[in-house]
Amino acid sequence: MKQTGSIKALLVKHEMILLWVIAVEVILFQVLGQNFLTAGNVSNIFRHSAEIGLLALVMTPVILTGGIDLSVGSLMGLCAVVFGMLVKVYGLDPLVAAGLTVLVGALGGGLNAGLVAGMGLRPLIVTLGTFSLFRGLAEALTHGSKSYSGFSDGFLALGNSDILGVPAQIWIVLVVGIVIWFLVHHTTYGRSLRAIGYGEEGARYAGLPVKRNISITYVMAGAVAGLAAVILVSRLGEARANAGMGYELLAITAVVLGGVSIFGGAGNVSGAVLGWIALAILNNGLTRISDYEILGEKVSSVARELSGLLTGLLLIAALALAICMKMLAAKRSAKQT
Amino acid sequence: MKTLLKLTGIKKSFGAVRALKGVSFELVEGEVHALLGENGAGKSTLIKVITGAHRPDGGAIEVGGEEISELTPAKAQELGIACIYQQPALFPDLSVAENIGLRLEKLGIFKRVGWGDWRQKAEELLARIGAEISPVAEVSSLSMPEQQLVEIACALGSGARIVIMDEPTASLTQKEQHLLFKVVRDLRAQGVGVVYISHRLEEIFALADRVTVLRDGESVGTNPVNGLNESQMIRLMVGRDVETIYPQAEHELGEVLLKVESLSCAASGLEGLNFQIRAGEIFGLAGLVGAGRTELARVLFGITPADGGSISLNRKLLEISSPRQAILHGIAYVPEDRRKHGVILEMAAAENMTMASHSRWFKGGILRKGIETEAGREFVEALGIKLSSLAAPGGSLSGGNQQKLSVARWLATQPKLLILDEPTQGVDVGAKGEIHRIVRDLAKQGMAVLMISSDLPEILGMSDRIGVMRGGKLVEIFEHADAEQVMAAALGSEEVKA
Repeated sequence: MKQTGSIKALLVKHEMILLWVIAVEVILFQVLGQNFLTAGNVSNIFRHSAEIGLLALVMTPVILTGGIDLSVGSLMGLCAVVFGMLVKVYGLDPLVAAGLTVLVGALGGGLNAGLVAGMGLRPLIVTLGTFSLFRGLAEALTHGSKSYSGFSDGFLALGNSDILGVPAQIWIVLVVGIVIWFLVHHTTYGRSLRAIGYGEEGARYAGLPVKRNISITYVMAGAVAGLAAVILVSRLGEARANAGMGYELLAITAVVLGGVSIFGGAGNVSGAVLGWIALAILNNGLTRISDYEILGEKVSSVARELSGLLTGLLLIAALALAICMKMLAAKRSAKQT
Repeated sequence: MKTLLKLTGIKKSFGAVRALKGVSFELVEGEVHALLGENGAGKSTLIKVITGAHRPDGGAIEVGGEEISELTPAKAQELGIACIYQQPALFPDLSVAENIGLRLEKLGIFKRVGWGDWRQKAEELLARIGAEISPVAEVSSLSMPEQQLVEIACALGSGARIVIMDEPTASLTQKEQHLLFKVVRDLRAQGVGVVYISHRLEEIFALADRVTVLRDGESVGTNPVNGLNESQMIRLMVGRDVETIYPQAEHELGEVLLKVESLSCAASGLEGLNFQIRAGEIFGLAGLVGAGRTELARVLFGITPADGGSISLNRKLLEISSPRQAILHGIAYVPEDRRKHGVILEMAAAENMTMASHSRWFKGGILRKGIETEAGREFVEALGIKLSSLAAPGGSLSGGNQQKLSVARWLATQPKLLILDEPTQGVDVGAKGEIHRIVRDLAKQGMAVLMISSDLPEILGMSDRIGVMRGGKLVEIFEHADAEQVMAAALGSEEVKA
């Protein structure tokens, strides 16, 4: 009796639903697409989505507090340009430049933190503002069109080589993931983020350092956006002001898809990771379907046309499914007793 | 006298929990019928059956002599059943007249709103209950009791013959209670039947004609109020004798622990407060709502820092600018609004208990579930908290147990000064007694306790000394006082004379 109960509880868990979604995706793309489940392509899925993965990971603490950060994509653009300039104009070593870029990202996040936690402004409004500000700065620095390329092979290896058969940047995602997971689930800091998400006032009455802890989430998000920018530049071999455009929404989609409540408090890092993987597979899988017929018409590549549509459908379907399963479970347990 | 409402053998189960096991209840015209019982006795479930929110599993409901087979909330409203809850459910940004109008009229998309009619109707209804509230006032500008009066006006306007009041005085001061009592008596005179729920026995003696006591989902009996005394009533409720006497101080008081000198805070309207509390002493703080008691607690706890005067603890001058600092200095505050500030409803009981003392349990900021569970078990045992498991969310606990959870959170910080703000509000008699015992024990261990309460018997029974606040000032400190003295000080001598 107890056994079946716990298995049911497991099935209802959001992560389980996401695993099913991922399984369905894999089967679908394997059947419909070409060369989907090959070592090279699986490696590509992760290589091309590492930056989104990093952003989704640092977006999770922000959303747990009931906040949001719309500026991370734009901050990537700014950081990419800064990195390009540091290396190509000022001739810094890429490693040193990368460190400074992460610092610039942290400063950008610090601006968000100051406005949100220090002045008590709404995160949505603040980061909507810095969303434009950071991109605008990036464009101003490059006069709208300039880009930096011609980086050393050693640096380009970060984005394009494998370590132990795994894309190099995925090791970075793994480290960041473990750090975030540990912070969120195994420290008093992570617990305070949940408390803040459930009720900022209540958290303050409990004597938690609300402002400081909210600030840290935005600074972390900024710093990791800087790191993601360096990885993106390395993968593409080019630093442009439009780097990371739209990435903030993809990262938020991954986190919400992963079952993290947009209102704060509830959710976990493993969910966000699975949400990211489900999104990454969808975007890659679509590029594997070529020369396909839809309603008798030949479509050369469905990727561009359908990617947005299917991302939206995936998000809505997964969340609707999660709610349906919860309601079903509640009904069943009510009937049983 | 006509019977307005008759319930016979009402049964209702939620899963395995049998909330009502065959309850019978009768309400006649022009009576105030009190419904009494500990938290969890089935009062709320019974109310929800009467208002149509819950469908009973068995039993019969008769309204006005007619058997109702399927009672829905809409049907109940149609039959003239209205319920006034503890927390008024009004639109805060709309005016009184708009709120009343919205409640009474069926709105269509293209129907024109008769603003003038609404205002007139609202005026009439408010006058009928003797409330001095402007119909054009915004609801958010009204006090809690005024909002309750608006609710009552709505109920009257909808032609309610049966009015249910669920702990209407829980957040009212003595003076406001008297106004409410007058309204209830007026309703009775107009032939309305009132079902009155309260934990405060003195209210039931003052208001009710009959009382039905519920215990563990069963009605223990219906009696005329004047045939019972207080201890008989309590015995009916709990099914055992409860000591109604407050636990008394049997210990010597220690040295002065808290010393407050000419404390001011312009933002919260506090001015020139002087008092001290000794180790082991319970200092009761009485006053009307808005007198500045909670504001004082918030200043001492650093939520709204002081802008003048001094606070010293253990002869050390303190600078308190945040709750975090207050906690570091050994000050703990069990807040009035436990659902919003005292307990995080969605988080586990154990997590709630360690919330304010992370650094004590989790060295280096790393969570240790084992230590947490152990600490949680200790508090559950020490305070007698009833919960299904330490992982159960705080919101799943009953009111009294949530309050104990909130107290546990603050005891975990090992405070020197414990501030309690309305510690037994909305808590049943059994849990109330336990909380009193816990507070007295803490004082005995040498803690200084500042207890804010609007429950006069509680203030009188628990306190070693009583401070009375009025208009942001501490107007009187009594070594010994009776109810009249405290009330007179709280109201101000002018009002007493008048």
